[in-house]
Amino acid sequence: MVLNRSDYYAQLGVLRDASQDEIKRAYFEAAQRLHPDKNQAAGETELFLEVQQAYEVLSNPKRRAQYDATLPKEEAQAAFIKYKVEYSRPNLVRLNEPQLIYVLLETSPRSAEEKLPTPPLNLCLVIDRSTSMQGEKMDIVKAAASQLVQTLTPQDIFSVVAFSDRAEVVIPAAFQSDRIKLQGRIQMIQTGGATEIYQGLEAGLREIRRSLDPKRISHLILLTDGQTYGDEQACLQLAEEAARQNIGISGLGIGSDWNDIFLDALTSRTGNNSAYISKPQDIKKILMDKFNAINNTLAEDILLEFKPQESIDLNYAFRLQPSGGPVALENPVHLGPIMQDTPLTVIFEFTIKSSACESEHVRMLDGALKATVAARPTPVPPLRVQFEQSVSDAPGDAPPPPSIIRALSRLTLYRMQEKARDEAQAGHYESATRHLKNLAQHLLAQGEKDLAKTALLEANNLERRQSLSQNGGKEIKYGTRALILSSVEDFE
Amino acid sequence: MIVCSNCKHTNISGALFCSECGAQLIGSDMLTTQNMAPDLVQEVVKSDVSHAKPVPVASLNTWITLHLMDTGQMLPLGDRSEFTVGRISEGQPIMPDIDLSPYQAYASGVSRLHAVIKQLGSRVVIMDLGSANGTFINGKRLNPNIEQTLNNGDIIAFGKLKLQVLLKTS
Repeated sequence: MVLNRSDYYAQLGVLRDASQDEIKRAYFEAAQRLHPDKNQAAGETELFLEVQQAYEVLSNPKRRAQYDATLPKEEAQAAFIKYKVEYSRPNLVRLNEPQLIYVLLETSPRSAEEKLPTPPLNLCLVIDRSTSMQGEKMDIVKAAASQLVQTLTPQDIFSVVAFSDRAEVVIPAAFQSDRIKLQGRIQMIQTGGATEIYQGLEAGLREIRRSLDPKRISHLILLTDGQTYGDEQACLQLAEEAARQNIGISGLGIGSDWNDIFLDALTSRTGNNSAYISKPQDIKKILMDKFNAINNTLAEDILLEFKPQESIDLNYAFRLQPSGGPVALENPVHLGPIMQDTPLTVIFEFTIKSSACESEHVRMLDGALKATVAARPTPVPPLRVQFEQSVSDAPGDAPPPPSIIRALSRLTLYRMQEKARDEAQAGHYESATRHLKNLAQHLLAQGEKDLAKTALLEANNLERRQSLSQNGGKEIKYGTRALILSSVEDFE
Repeated sequence: MIVCSNCKHTNISGALFCSECGAQLIGSDMLTTQNMAPDLVQEVVKSDVSHAKPVPVASLNTWITLHLMDTGQMLPLGDRSEFTVGRISEGQPIMPDIDLSPYQAYASGVSRLHAVIKQLGSRVVIMDLGSANGTFINGKRLNPNIEQTLNNGDIIAFGKLKLQVLLKTS
């Protein structure tokens, strides 16, 4: 496929019909990021000049009209991705009470045949070396990191940072040829000290930024087994900055003491998620799975930018695949990656207030999808996306699509455990216990005996000691999350 | 608003699953228990012991037939390789694949989710799912959650409900 030189609109990342305000905002954002005083990657100064040129033309209505006339039609333009939408109901109903609707969005590459080369990586491993990691955990982490080193290609840039209450760079970001030396350095990591994730994250991101390059997949993998105290907000800010530079952050939590809610919040800001490693023996496998997933990425991040609609609330969004996880509801939303073999599927829950249903049509979402594709560093034009549904007086009789039923039957379980944990946190032990028991029943009915047992055990824990065990809570959370993933495998 | 038939929780209109108990609110015909169609159940004439072995019904996919010892009815099972056995009770979201409530399951002490019967390659196994009154093979009570191989002609009991296992011999 021949790629047209990307047009001015794609360079700014705006739609053809963007208003002057939007163009201005996009320009300021890009200019801040790419300004020669601040940019970090090679070639960004050229990009900055192109963005400036684009803005000069598009900000002038007369020149913009002239330029528009030279452009091919928007439909003819080869967008990199396509998407498919399914709704839980055939239409909305005119009611004087709020109503819910679920929307399933599947994003995949436009042409399945097109094989892009696997882009090189810019990968940083950030390892918690606090005292609690001592012994088996650290031994296995080192072995796993050494194995990872073996699988790097000569084009990959790799770095390792170890942290406790301060961070040190074990292996600075560079092309790595001497693997034996790398493995030796990894073996030298000593345990000791407390856990301050900010320190590790900051140092790791600094390593990645030293060779930031849009042609590479930039990713940071955080391995931790402990809680961080007091620096959560600062960490989230780091993640947001990283997301703006297309650096992904994944978290792997080992054992029972780490804060999964924080790690989910952190990683979902970059469209990624946390994973739970219950036994040290699994570290190697899960780390390699993560590494292979990064290597198998087609588009690192799909960004959904949207204008808030009146009388419509986006309550909840969850990525069903690849690697299921909650989606942070910010604007723009980082939906997650598209894999070579797996599309990106996200389910949204909207509440439609009655005032929105006075017209014939309700537009729940109006926005654009933007893809970050390392294999194709020229700006990819954004793709307009709209969720719309007609309104009638009677509910439609078509049943919800099976894909939505399947996804929700599992997502409901995940949200039940979420609810139970929130309630336990807030001291509503009775309802938390009830929800866990309900959850156990459903799990049993779906044949998930082990998970059901854990849920019942935790319900007992709540009743007797008014708290969940750290392990059990995580097991149920990541267990129900894994169920969601298995429910979409056959989604067409 | 939708009122959940299971727990009476009031859900917002358009919800598909109850936010309180997780029961499915609409479109449930897609995830239901497979009921035994009446034409699948055949009355076997109670004959004398001399030709005791009832011949399993020849259905293409049937790999196991359960012969209800008390009534003489036959339940041929097939199309899937795993069945959970139990009884549906009002207001509970538990849906066994095989509902035994038409066969005096409640009076015989069958649990709502009693046991699971699986086809594993050429073997057929049964596993008790922690039922209240137990699962028995030829009078021997099984330990819950442990798979036990079934042989043709075995008599299993869910509580007091006795069934003979007839396997398709290939």
